[in-house]
Amino acid sequence: MKLPGSRRGTASICLALCACLFPIAAAAERLHIVIPAAAGGGLDGTARAAGRALTAMELAGTVSFENIAGAGGGRGLSVFVENTARFREALIVNSTPLILRRLQNLYPLSFRDLTPIVGLVADYGIFVVRNEEPADSWLSVVTRLRENPRAVIMGGGSARGSLDHIVAALALDAAGVDARRVRYLPYDGGGKAMLALLGDEIELLSTGLGETLPFIRAGQVRVLAITAPERVKAIEDVPTLTELGCPVRFANWRGLFASPAVDEDVRVSHIQRFRTLTASDTWSGTLEQYGWEPLNLFGEDFTRYLEQQESLLRETMAKLGFTR
Amino acid sequence: MWEGIAQGLGTALDPANLLWVAAGCCAGTLIGMLPGLGPITAIALMIPVSYTLDPAAGLIMMAGVYYGAVFGGSTSSILINAPGVASTVATSFDGYPMARAGEAGRALAIAAYASFAGGTIGALALLLFAGALASWATAFQSPEYTLILVLALSSIAAFAERGRVARSCVAALLGLMLGTVGTDQSAGVQRFTFGRLDLMDGISFILLAMAVFALAEAFHMLTTRERGGDYRPAASVRLRKGDARAITPTVGRNSALGFLVGILPGAGATLASFFAYDFEKRFNRNPACGIAAPEAANNAACTGSFVPLLTLGIPGSGTTAVLLGVMLSLGIQPGPRLLETDPAVFWGVIVSMYIGNLVLLALNLPLIPYISRLIQISRPVLIPFVAAFSLVGVYLTTSNVFDLYLMLGFGVAALILRSWGFPLAPLLLGFILSGMLEENLRRTFYLVDGSFSMLLHRPATLVLAIACAAIWMAPAIRWWRNRPRGEPRS
Repeated sequence: MKLPGSRRGTASICLALCACLFPIAAAAERLHIVIPAAAGGGLDGTARAAGRALTAMELAGTVSFENIAGAGGGRGLSVFVENTARFREALIVNSTPLILRRLQNLYPLSFRDLTPIVGLVADYGIFVVRNEEPADSWLSVVTRLRENPRAVIMGGGSARGSLDHIVAALALDAAGVDARRVRYLPYDGGGKAMLALLGDEIELLSTGLGETLPFIRAGQVRVLAITAPERVKAIEDVPTLTELGCPVRFANWRGLFASPAVDEDVRVSHIQRFRTLTASDTWSGTLEQYGWEPLNLFGEDFTRYLEQQESLLRETMAKLGFTR
Repeated sequence: MWEGIAQGLGTALDPANLLWVAAGCCAGTLIGMLPGLGPITAIALMIPVSYTLDPAAGLIMMAGVYYGAVFGGSTSSILINAPGVASTVATSFDGYPMARAGEAGRALAIAAYASFAGGTIGALALLLFAGALASWATAFQSPEYTLILVLALSSIAAFAERGRVARSCVAALLGLMLGTVGTDQSAGVQRFTFGRLDLMDGISFILLAMAVFALAEAFHMLTTRERGGDYRPAASVRLRKGDARAITPTVGRNSALGFLVGILPGAGATLASFFAYDFEKRFNRNPACGIAAPEAANNAACTGSFVPLLTLGIPGSGTTAVLLGVMLSLGIQPGPRLLETDPAVFWGVIVSMYIGNLVLLALNLPLIPYISRLIQISRPVLIPFVAAFSLVGVYLTTSNVFDLYLMLGFGVAALILRSWGFPLAPLLLGFILSGMLEENLRRTFYLVDGSFSMLLHRPATLVLAIACAAIWMAPAIRWWRNRPRGEPRS
């Protein structure tokens, strides 16, 4: 009867070991990120880049991704919030349209239905012209628009009343232009809008720094102004709107949120993980590769930031007539 | 440039890269063959693999997946009338009837040769003119796009059977109307969504194509009981004598057409295949050419879409947008500077496309006898197979159960329309063009700001407007020339 006994002993030791290891393994090894957009877009890129950096730094064993596209991000969001059991320890990536679409009543949910973890990167709004027009400066464009708001045709990569349009309206309004009357042409994505700028269909393009950086570096386009609070490293010669006398600061943030039902210790460990990540050289390399600016807001700080942005956007949209 | 090409040859012929181009093509073409799965799904499935590779190998493989899926896409169009991507819809017009007449093998072989030629000619053009053609992509703006789309819509007359022009137009209008469901691209307003999140993005192409083609076909088979509806056994799996000579000029001119249209960001490959079919059918009733023309054009267009992607960094379609994302995550920054920063990648990808097309031909041709045998499966087995595959295909791309109900509904509606004699191809064409047409038309109106004189200052716009007018006037002119003149002398 010696053999079965020793077997039982081995088995119980194994079981005990497993029982000890399992919770740790579950917390540190696997991380699941929901991406409420199709593969290949900006949100997808951010989530996957963050996931790869986490794995490279061994802050997570494996990171899995789940793209739930649809309804401009609304479907992924509602699936994530409704299935608390499945996504208790998972994260969802999101960006400024989360606030914008709530204000436009396109989403039933807001960031208050999620647990903010980290505001990871910021993409600042920029105003771009073709490089062949050396005379143009932000002030000359604004002067022309003040005289006649329909003098300049402006474009952006999203519909009227969405991000690119609102950022432009925010800046022009601060510069004393009747922003409601400015001509804005919507395009299906930043790429097509850039093509319209290069092909001389529009004169001024409102877009984000990240996706425009290659065109700036290639010398095809020139940036007139940026909505960042201070000059950014990638384009140091470009003045901020604040410097130009329009006190407007705006960032399109991208960040990660946990489930509304997340346990406090998991939330803290998520935040800790991203604190370590954002302080690392690996992450600085990623930021440089994609031309992103760090935002680095964690937990409650991120929540406060979201609240501020929401009230700014609410005011602007009400003033400019974008709310429905 | 020759130095660059030599460097590209070195990259493309690297044994590891040869392996990856073959792997990419295999995966792409096999996924593309399945009904309901197109290039986007194929690329999305292969993204995790690409992350483990170095940039050149990763891009070479992903490009292979893309054109491999376009290459294989014709298979499901021809065999079961289930186009997995908009650019193979036109292939089914002549391909499916040919397959039902027992010539599945021949149809598939024509499609394979035409795809190979289109892909290779496209790759050659890309190699020689990539830099020079970048400006062609920016030459077309909203007014030109609007007219190109009107031109494409005008071509529905070519798909209409004799005496069914009015029904074709009604079907196209229905398609245009279905295209307005969802979020309005210009103002962000919800239209016909009934407050449902599921409808916010509109109806997906794959859903509608599967419903009106594959599902409606399956329902039709169920409702008609006559034995004559059965497929005849695949008699031939080879080209007929004379096929090669007949399709050679077709393939040549439509590859060139496809490549040029493919460069234009927008629905390059789809528009190219419809234009090619329309263009070819105007003076050529040979069904072999009806398959070869869209297949040559869509493969050439797929290669052409790499021009704006590589030289401007601008994706022209959903698929190339996904590819752009893959490139960025591989650390490749496409754009005018790619030639300076990464010449090995730039030329390596282009050169690898020849090799890829050879691999695809070598892979597809031997499979044809086996694949074409699928069509001999007896009806009670085939119908559930078609229905299940099209439903699974749609569920895989959207993972939304609501879409399955929507699809069944559209399938039934399509069957009813079909029994009333409405052709369904114009409906799908109208649907595909609807969003783009509306968006560009609205921008054009905004640009001209009430004065149409601006249109006259744009030569391209004027030419396109005249071409549209000519298409619509053609029947009237023909009638005028054939009118009875005076009293017949006797």
